[in-house]
Amino acid sequence: MTLRIASLALIAALAAAGCSKGPKTDAKAAPAATAAKPADGAATAAKPADGTASAAKPEGTATPTAAGQSFGAGVKLPDSTPIATILANPKDYAGKTVRAEGMIVDVCPKRGCWFEMAGPNPGEKLRFKVVDGEMVFPLDAKGKWAVAEGVLSVKDMSLEDSVAYAKYQAEEKGEAFDPASVTAPMSVVRIDGTGALIRDKQ
Amino acid sequence: MTAPEAPAPPAPRRAREGIMWRKWLRIFHRDIGYVAVALIIAYGVSGLAVNHIEDWNPSYTFAERGFDIGPLPAGDPAALADAAITRLRLDRASVRGHFLETARELRVFLTDGQEARLDVTTGKGKLKLVARRPVLFQLNALHLNNLKGAWTYVADAFAVALIILALTGMTMMKGDRGLLGRGKYFVLAGLAVPVGFIAYAFA
Repeated sequence: MTLRIASLALIAALAAAGCSKGPKTDAKAAPAATAAKPADGAATAAKPADGTASAAKPEGTATPTAAGQSFGAGVKLPDSTPIATILANPKDYAGKTVRAEGMIVDVCPKRGCWFEMAGPNPGEKLRFKVVDGEMVFPLDAKGKWAVAEGVLSVKDMSLEDSVAYAKYQAEEKGEAFDPASVTAPMSVVRIDGTGALIRDKQ
Repeated sequence: MTAPEAPAPPAPRRAREGIMWRKWLRIFHRDIGYVAVALIIAYGVSGLAVNHIEDWNPSYTFAERGFDIGPLPAGDPAALADAAITRLRLDRASVRGHFLETARELRVFLTDGQEARLDVTTGKGKLKLVARRPVLFQLNALHLNNLKGAWTYVADAFAVALIILALTGMTMMKGDRGLLGRGKYFVLAGLAVPVGFIAYAFA
């Protein structure tokens, strides 16, 4: 009898370990890995004429807040730098912590480890990338508004690397890929993310 | 006439203690096993699913439905999106936004990660449907700790429980079938597999 009580006590202790800490925000800041932009002339998509973005229910893997759903370390900088400004001169921001915002137009379909935000101009997108598992962005975030923060990274690639990169991107999205569509070296611009806020609307 | 037999002497103290700790460990193993069985199965199923993430999407299913709504009248992206929504008879409450991916390719985002993607000059496009895999989506979220927060501690407790199950499991039997009997060979075989992979991968 004593043994059974001791056994139950151990199980209870294990359960308590699981419950005693209470809810916690996933506040681990995580530097990360990719956001891409077609470089001059090269590209994953043709340069459009004009375009817009508008956005909208959080779910899933982070901390719901009044203003949306917070991921990672959240957003600390007070002001956002327009995506168009960043993409116009990405090297000016390389290595710096930036905050940017825009409608989410794509989310990593397998691991939820990146999303792309639309700039004000057609075809203009900035990728927000995190280490796999640090933050997981739900696929249904597409069309919602993201405010994202992290360190801007710029990587100039060779034509060969650009083709490989574009091929991988297409495969990840389950899209057809034509190597001939990449005619010039690409420059990959992305925010290595530390935190983000996703909400229904701007 | 024979003298009555003397009562058997009590088992030595050391032997009694041996029986006691084995009994304790069996009880821990059994009861912790009961508690952990649901998560063991859940994590095992999810593990199989996510191991093959390069071959399939373990959390979502995708489908496409083609359409042809005819060329859209020229206009700004908002007007193009409005025309597409009308012709596709989409519930406007389900529309989250739109984006001109290229000069010709318009994307209209709907709830649940779904979207309509079309060539505005031809009106041909696809409705991209997305759905969560029932059960697996939730199991993967637990297994991969997508939930973060308090679940991290539940998962920690589960990991501790698995270690206890592994260690107490080795004490279940004694003698030839126990750890010191043939059990040690099975333990070594189980150890050799990951060690072999590590040696091969990192040598």
